Amino acid sequence: MRKSKEASKKEWEEAQHVSRRNFLAIAGSGLTLAFFCPEVTQVAEAAMGGIAGPPAKTQVNTWLNIGSSGQITLTIGSSEMGQGSFSGLAQILAEDLMVEYSTIQTVQGVPATGAPQVGNSIPTYGSTIIRNNYWSMRQAGAAGREMLVQAAMNIVGDQTRANYTVSNGVITYTPTGETISYGLVASAAALLPVPSNPPLIPDSQFRLIGTTVNRVDIPSKVNGSAVFGLDIRLPNMVYAIIQHCPTFGGSLNGVPATPAGMIAVVPTQVVAGTNRGTETTGLVNAVAVVGPNTWDTWQAALNLTINWTIPASSSTLNDQNFINEATAALTSAPAYSPSGPNTAPTLYTVEGNLAATNTAIAGAAKHPTATYTLPYVPHNALEPLSCTVNYVPGVSCDVYVSTQVASSVQALVNQITGLPLSQINVHTTFLGGALGRRIEVDFVSQAIQVAMAVGRPVMLLWPREQNFLRDQFRPLALIQVSAGLDSGGDILGWNYTGVSPSLFTQRGFPVGPTGDSQATEGSSGLPYNFQNRVTQWISHPSPIPIGFWRSVGMSMNTFAVESMIDELAALAGIDPYDYRLNLLTDPRWINVLQTVAALANYSAGPAPGHAFGMAITTYANSIVAEIVDVSLNSGNDYDGQPALFNVNNVWIALDCYLSVNPGQIQAQLTGGMVHGLNAALYGRQSFVNGVPQYPNFYQNRVIRMDEMPQVAVALIPNPQQSNQSVAIGGVGELGVMCLAPALANAYYRISNNRIRTLPFFPNATMGGLNNPHI
Amino acid sequence: MPATFTINVNGQNRTVTVNNPAMPLLWVLRDLLNLTGTKYGCGQNGCGACTVIANNQAIRSCITEIQSVAGQNIITIEGLSPTASHPAQLAWVTFQVPQCGYCQSGQLMSVAASILAGNHGANIAAQVHNICICGTYSRIQQAISTL
Repeated sequence: MRKSKEASKKEWEEAQHVSRRNFLAIAGSGLTLAFFCPEVTQVAEAAMGGIAGPPAKTQVNTWLNIGSSGQITLTIGSSEMGQGSFSGLAQILAEDLMVEYSTIQTVQGVPATGAPQVGNSIPTYGSTIIRNNYWSMRQAGAAGREMLVQAAMNIVGDQTRANYTVSNGVITYTPTGETISYGLVASAAALLPVPSNPPLIPDSQFRLIGTTVNRVDIPSKVNGSAVFGLDIRLPNMVYAIIQHCPTFGGSLNGVPATPAGMIAVVPTQVVAGTNRGTETTGLVNAVAVVGPNTWDTWQAALNLTINWTIPASSSTLNDQNFINEATAALTSAPAYSPSGPNTAPTLYTVEGNLAATNTAIAGAAKHPTATYTLPYVPHNALEPLSCTVNYVPGVSCDVYVSTQVASSVQALVNQITGLPLSQINVHTTFLGGALGRRIEVDFVSQAIQVAMAVGRPVMLLWPREQNFLRDQFRPLALIQVSAGLDSGGDILGWNYTGVSPSLFTQRGFPVGPTGDSQATEGSSGLPYNFQNRVTQWISHPSPIPIGFWRSVGMSMNTFAVESMIDELAALAGIDPYDYRLNLLTDPRWINVLQTVAALANYSAGPAPGHAFGMAITTYANSIVAEIVDVSLNSGNDYDGQPALFNVNNVWIALDCYLSVNPGQIQAQLTGGMVHGLNAALYGRQSFVNGVPQYPNFYQNRVIRMDEMPQVAVALIPNPQQSNQSVAIGGVGELGVMCLAPALANAYYRISNNRIRTLPFFPNATMGGLNNPHI
Repeated sequence: MPATFTINVNGQNRTVTVNNPAMPLLWVLRDLLNLTGTKYGCGQNGCGACTVIANNQAIRSCITEIQSVAGQNIITIEGLSPTASHPAQLAWVTFQVPQCGYCQSGQLMSVAASILAGNHGANIAAQVHNICICGTYSRIQQAISTL
């Protein structure tokens, strides 16, 4: 879930530019440290409490405030979508600030440019929030602590630092036992220079980092008080229900009359920057019915007769046609040309040497080829998309939305309304799941258009069906892998070619000679000992809108890579665990593989009637491996489909260098695994003449509690965790990508049936709306 | 045709007037009574995010018309305990169950209804079929095992 390199580079440069000189002033607020995250090695300048300064630029997104009564507030612009990032950042901060974790209040930052500034957003995707901000938080805590201690030293009159200790926000002057609280010296500390290199707590003295602490958001999530996007209520607010054209590429033909009891019917168009594939800028592809409450408005929208103009090209938007196009592209796509235009399909060489690899494969004793097929997969976040907008023309625009990128929302409001950024407030709510879908702002653009049309605060809701039908899907893919094995099972050549639509191209980002990184991640740079290798990617021309889906290309390519490794092990007659070890020299990979095998008691073998399957990969500086235990099930599932197997256990091992909150990482890995399992078993959207077919959970089944496998997680400490030049590893997406191949590999071991096309159960349903299982 | 109904929500009688007596209880709670702890997930009795208790039974409020529960006693997540100290809520905190949290109101109400019916432990779990996309099922099972 990442932006283009260009976009990320621009953000980074902006960060570097301002973080070294920016300081902010808020009168009477104690000690405030304002800084930009992520900032790996630098703590930015301190805000000078009580001293007015010139209005600074906006590129501060994180505020630490120690109030004069001792209260500690961390205001940060990341989004809380279930991953516990607020809690993790507070936990890290508390370590070096030397306060109790529970004393830190976390506050959602709001992108703004007016004074007082309360921070820009931190884009929340790519498993980045803890790993990118770890050192920033630690240095902020250490800098704040040393400034407070310096202020205390000034009061006591003894400048010998060794005569002072700190515990839980209280400074003790050890020669006399005199104590000074942080709050008492906070305002004085704000007048001191920020230390450039404050000492960090040695890892051996960690009190908090590495321990499981409770999350700050959980109490509000068990009593109904947590506010998600859909829970916003504003005075005078009206409700809008979106209805898109059922066919991708279609457009509105005439605005329907406003139904009785409704307030308006507002056509909405695709706004520049939110255009994707068939949904071109300016296309009026939806109407919003505006009314007094959700239900009445929804019924009016469903009963509305809307005329759409369907382009002839929609007849090509069919599943089989997509596969045919991919298959044809494997043999006919022209190679990338530096002079362009490289319209899809175009063949990109990601790495390696095609001729040498093919020669090696041709000369090998065995040269199998396998083709793996993955469908379009919808996001299935449980909270439907919504956005609430209060627009006062020429004055202000307040947007309340569960978004992964509040700054994108702010920029979009500016683009549509022309209001300066300083008059646009984006209030990020809790996210009821995101999974990458809330990186996009298409639904936000619609809400703004409706608010501008009706002149009242409006909440725009996408009913569940619109979420599944009008998703920006995980791209489909067809991946062909050929390999050459010698008689001992060594891999003489590995030829990997993936065909999939380009996320970058749909967003107007340039794609260079090595292709779209979002499509190729997980397929290149593999540490296996392939004696010759080539990795290629072919852009697929399908215009179905696609998006970032928790783990993005990793989940697609890991399925093909780790399935093929298993196929080669089977062909060589070598246990797949031993086979991988034979191919690996990277100590982290080997350690992770050995750890997951020990966790699963792999050497003892599966229980009678069971089978193991495994997979391993790397992402976000972490290494992850999973082993799945399955057993055959000859009965029917509750939806009437053959059950085929039960998924009994999943064992997960992770090396992310440093486990800030082990319990939370265990939860994240388990949740990621379930996301991968749902997709492997059931995840797909299907298209008939441009019309997506599966509108609700009834047809987009997910596992329920009685289908949950037993899960065990092992987290591997890494001594490199103390090295500031090594970014710690990510977690949020790491559970996802190994599940599908591990499951397919296990199923092969017990059934002799190799699953190369996902999902396992394309015809699964919830089995009837009155099913007692529900 | 507008119609007026009285229901008892979390111990208080509430009278609502709706344009359509088929309006589901979910939207009465959320839009008319401003009780947003009960969530909309699928609108089809499929996911369980909208679960509330009506006359001691767990129901899916998204498919329950207001006219069908007139006069009944409704408990929502907001009314489960005035101090958020229902045993299930306490267990949810102890086992750090929620991730995104969107399904958890419904999970807790399904569990609470099962407890009301006299169930414990695995017998509760057997009655909880709510969807959790975050995959918190393991921790839900752990939490339920203490109830």
